[in-house]
Parts: sequence; structure tokens; C-alpha cells
Amino acid sequence: MISLTAHRRDVAAGARAMVPGIVATAPFGLVIGVTAAQSHLPTFAGWLTGPTIFAGSAQLTAIQMLNAGAAPAAVIVTVLIINVRLMLYSAGMMPHWRGTPLWWRVLAGYLLVDPSYAVGIQRYEQPGDRRAAHVHYFGAAIALWLSWLAAIAAGATLGAGLPPALHLDFLVPLYLIGQVVPRLTQAAPRRAALTSAAVAALALTVPMHLGLAVGIVAGLAAGIVRVNRTEAGATATTKTLATKTPANRPLAKEIAK
Amino acid sequence: MNAWTVIALAGIGSLVLRISMVTAADRIRIPKRLEQLSALVAPAALAALATTGIASATTSVGIRAAAAPLIAAAVAVLAVWLTRSPHAAMLAGMAALWLMTALLPA
Repeated sequence: MISLTAHRRDVAAGARAMVPGIVATAPFGLVIGVTAAQSHLPTFAGWLTGPTIFAGSAQLTAIQMLNAGAAPAAVIVTVLIINVRLMLYSAGMMPHWRGTPLWWRVLAGYLLVDPSYAVGIQRYEQPGDRRAAHVHYFGAAIALWLSWLAAIAAGATLGAGLPPALHLDFLVPLYLIGQVVPRLTQAAPRRAALTSAAVAALALTVPMHLGLAVGIVAGLAAGIVRVNRTEAGATATTKTLATKTPANRPLAKEIAK
Repeated sequence: MNAWTVIALAGIGSLVLRISMVTAADRIRIPKRLEQLSALVAPAALAALATTGIASATTSVGIRAAAAPLIAAAVAVLAVWLTRSPHAAMLAGMAALWLMTALLPA
């Protein structure tokens, strides 16, 4: 039985563990709110991406594509491509939520996103009462959810009253640059990001505003090719090293099987 | 299909992705390729979004100031690279944009 009232301390501990996540995501929520307010969409529709999609980059994509007049199917498919990682988080939580009621798995799954997964999985990996870990996860995830919706609302309220000459909509690409640049140190993400950016720039005039989706797919393809090449290179190196010395020949045979 | 319906369907699709594995329990194993691909989604999606955002800004500031967002974006990349702080992009980039739009009026 999962009881929130019986584990109040764990709810509070979960919320406290989420504070760094809230601080890190609040500016993005503000930016999404400002973007929603300055778009042609009803501001409430932009805010509604928070409780429905509940994942920053997918929300921003949906607002920007809808504002640009993109085809509805293209918007939905692009959002789902960006959110496919949530399936992996779901798989990560699977062993911890096995045996819980269906209502819990649906509620907890709805609240599953990058920061709640990170805080939740850290607690689940510690020994102790499983029910306390569930409540800890809920406390963290609900704190994130509430702060996220509040940040979007604050951004939407501020954004509607700010003069266009401030060009606050430019905060979005700047925020994204801040998220992308630190990922460029590794080869495969770098290849994915640079290809995606280049193709999206070349595909700006693609009909139905599909350029964004085309760029993302091209970036993923380029990144996965890089991963394959790295794996193939690593296998070849292992085989070469294994066959260099007579002592390693049995190992080489084992690898070659 | 209006914006409200698109947002609702995108939300339902996202929920299905979130609960897919926890409701299917242990009957399914995630292919390794999908795991590798998921690690690349964030850099690919964020970079494409940033590019279209910069392109959109170059058209909104007027033809004479069109270089301003490009310079501001370059300053932002440099600021993050040097400081390793994601927030430096917004601070340095907005300062550069305001300076450049003042120097290059539309």
C-alpha cells in the first residue's frame, strides 16, 4: 500500500532532493512561457503544453512549430521523436515499480522526465523500504511538476507585457546553445548536433516547416553512424592486440567466435 | 486539426511513451540500438531548435541588423565554451544582441 500521509517525511525529503533540479529547469520554464506569450497561439494553449507534454524541449518545439504553421502530424511526430527517451526512463523504472497498482504506475509514469528520473533512480538504488522510495519519488516529481507549471505561467505573464524591442524570444536559442555546447566534447553527440544544425539551416525552406524534423532525423543518423564506426574501430583494435602475442591467441580465438 | 487538439494528442503520445514499459512489465527488452539513439536525441533536437531560432531572429530584427543574432549566437557559444556554464549563453548572448542591434539599427 502506497500511503503519502504515512510517509510525510519521505515526501518532504523527495521535494528537497529536487531543489537543484527545480533551480536548473526554472529558467527554461520561464523561456517557454515567454515564447508562448509572444507566439500567435493562445497563451493558455502554450501553458497547457506543460501539464500535457511535460518535457521542455518537446514543449518548445510544439509551440514553435504550431506558431510557424507546421502541419499537425509533423508537430506530433517531432514531439514524439524528442520524447522517445522517456521510454527508456520507463524501462529503467520498470523493476522498481513492478507489483505496484496500475494507478500508481500511470501517475508515477506521467511525472517521469529527466530530473524526476535522476532523483528517483538514485533513491531506488539505495537499500531500504520500497514504499518509502515510491513516496520519495512522488515528492520529488510533484515538486518539479508544480514548479515547472509555475515557471511557465510566470514567463507567460511577464512575456505578454514586455516590449518586442527587447527580443526576449532570442532567449530560447541562447538557452539551447547553453545546453548543446557542453555536449560537444564527445564525438557522437557532436556529430549529431552539428549535422542536425546544418541540415535544419539548409532545410529552412522545406514545406510545412518540416525542416526541424528533417534536421533532427539527419542528426540522429549521423550520430549513430559515428557510434557504429567507434564500435567497429574498438573491435578491430581488440582483435589486433589479441593476435599480436602468442599468449593472447586463445583470447583472439574467443573474440573471433 | 487545431492547436488544442495537436497539444492534446502530443500529450497523450508522450504519456504512452512514459508508461509503455512500466505497464508492459518485463515482457519487453529494449534494443541496444534504441538506447544508443536516445542518448543522441537531446543534442540533435536542441541543436536543430537553436538553429531555427537563430534563423527566425535574423528575419525579425530587420535586414540591416540581420548579423546581430548571428554574432550574439557566436558570442554565446564562446561564452559557454570558456566558462562551461550553460547560463553564460543567455547572459553574454543577450548583451551581445542588444549591443549589436543598437549599433546596427533596422
